[in-house]
Amino acid sequence: MEAGSLSVAQQRLRGGPGARRRRAVNRVVEVLCTFAAFLAVAVLLLVVISVLIKGLPALNLDFFTKNPAPFGMTGGGIANSIVGSAILVLLATAMSVPVGIMVAIYTSEFAPTKVSEGIRFALDILNGVPTIVTGVFIFGLLVVGHQQSGWAGAIALAIVELPIVARSAQEVLDLVPRSLHEAGLALGLRRWRIVLRIVLPTALGGLITGAVLGVARVAGETAPLLFASSIFSNLGITTNPAQAMPNIPVTIFTLSESPSPQDHAQAWAAALVLIAFVLILSVIARTFHERSRRRIRG
Amino acid sequence: MSTQSSERERMTTSREPDISEGETPDLQALGDIPQGTGHTVQVENLHAYYGANHAIKNINLTFRANEVTAIIGPSGCGKSTMVRCINRMHEEIPYARAEGRVLLDDEDVYSPKVDVTAVRRAIGMVFQRPNPFPTMSIFDNVASGLRLAGVRGENMRERVHRSLRAVGLWGEVKNRLNSPGIGLSGGQQQRLCIARTIAVEPEVILMDEPCSALDPVATLKVEELIDELKARYTIVIVTHNMQQAARVANSTVFMLDGEVVEHAPTNDVFTNPRDERTERYVTGKFG
Repeated sequence: MEAGSLSVAQQRLRGGPGARRRRAVNRVVEVLCTFAAFLAVAVLLLVVISVLIKGLPALNLDFFTKNPAPFGMTGGGIANSIVGSAILVLLATAMSVPVGIMVAIYTSEFAPTKVSEGIRFALDILNGVPTIVTGVFIFGLLVVGHQQSGWAGAIALAIVELPIVARSAQEVLDLVPRSLHEAGLALGLRRWRIVLRIVLPTALGGLITGAVLGVARVAGETAPLLFASSIFSNLGITTNPAQAMPNIPVTIFTLSESPSPQDHAQAWAAALVLIAFVLILSVIARTFHERSRRRIRG
Repeated sequence: MSTQSSERERMTTSREPDISEGETPDLQALGDIPQGTGHTVQVENLHAYYGANHAIKNINLTFRANEVTAIIGPSGCGKSTMVRCINRMHEEIPYARAEGRVLLDDEDVYSPKVDVTAVRRAIGMVFQRPNPFPTMSIFDNVASGLRLAGVRGENMRERVHRSLRAVGLWGEVKNRLNSPGIGLSGGQQQRLCIARTIAVEPEVILMDEPCSALDPVATLKVEELIDELKARYTIVIVTHNMQQAARVANSTVFMLDGEVVEHAPTNDVFTNPRDERTERYVTGKFG
């Protein structure tokens, strides 16, 4: 049909010249973006599935409850690494979460805008510092002249965890409505009391989310621990942070460097344990996040 | 605030309308009124700024004891800012400052010797949107200001109950004092906020458009309450609603561009304004 024979309404509603081309471009952009989204999910699935396939065969109760078999023997597990990782992450979290939340309280509640922006920027940079640099730093500070120790490892992990906790806490505290501060101020409450009795309880879910995400992140950190806690005097369980503590990421690294196929299988199994732990934590974090959002919105 | 929450607010309001309870505010619950205890607020040469923006320009006003004074004027004329200068809430906004004097009886609230938290306890404030603390129960909301003042135990419980009776909320909430304050309807929440304010025994109550987020029935209830409250408190109410000013206020202030145009008995402002601009505003010609 020729353009001349179209009515005014037909011309108008069919979009005029170029409409077909614009629709095609729109379609292409849509397809590309959809593909990218599926790609991201596919990568996660591929990682999880390959770890599952290669890790499951070596996974059994002994793997969790037994210490590594002495050199040349088969069997054994990673009980010492699980205990060590738990202690390291616990110590790091005990250091970084209180400090991180206090940093966030300072920037969100007390600091002048300029100072607050400066601190946020500094935290973003700290978050971007390669963790191997953090490892070298702690190595120079705490290991050289002394020895590797759980403390050095935990402090290195705490440095990695701090900006994650602080930044997420800032985001959550900023979501607490201004009107609640005002209600507190108008009652003659002092600032610290408003923070303690009104702001923190309101933001609790989000603060927990941030802390859990921080734990999930540092549970798998390897680079700092290679410097701080990777040479072990024995294969047993160590609970004293003054000594180097075996831990899952370094164990995965060491096992995968070994020539023995049995060690490789164990490396995959340890990777599976780690990734399962992180996934579970992420689900927990999400649950608290939802709870917090409901509460903040009232 | 999300539209979701206002949606829910409307739904709760329609399910349990405030009018169903015949309860009236019981100010007697607060005890006998001591003789001659009204408190006057005097604003002298008040200027307020947001950074370089000069929002309040040399205001002089007297708010008489045991009266309701309404502040009316078009949006952005400085009504809220002026009221927030009275209890020093204005200075909480970054880059905001105020100059001049605000006298509660004979003491300047801006005097360096004055503790700002004490000012806010003496001069309470109710906000536009009901803002109960979301993590606290009905009881704890009312008790939140008391705990700071060191009121504890039976004494505190007593004061919470009296405050809830005073705002006419007791019958509606007495069986669920431990449920969350945000579970109440919008109108109930606002009365809860008023109870929270009077629990700390202020002398003056500032209200910044306290009914603008409420439906007409809840509004009426809050207005009745304001009328009762003036027996005990000096009340300053900012309102967009001229009918509301006419209903509740003994005197009315008309503000325009950060200045007071007219302050007169409410009846005069609405029926016989001295200034032409007031007349044009109250007759709906602008604003």
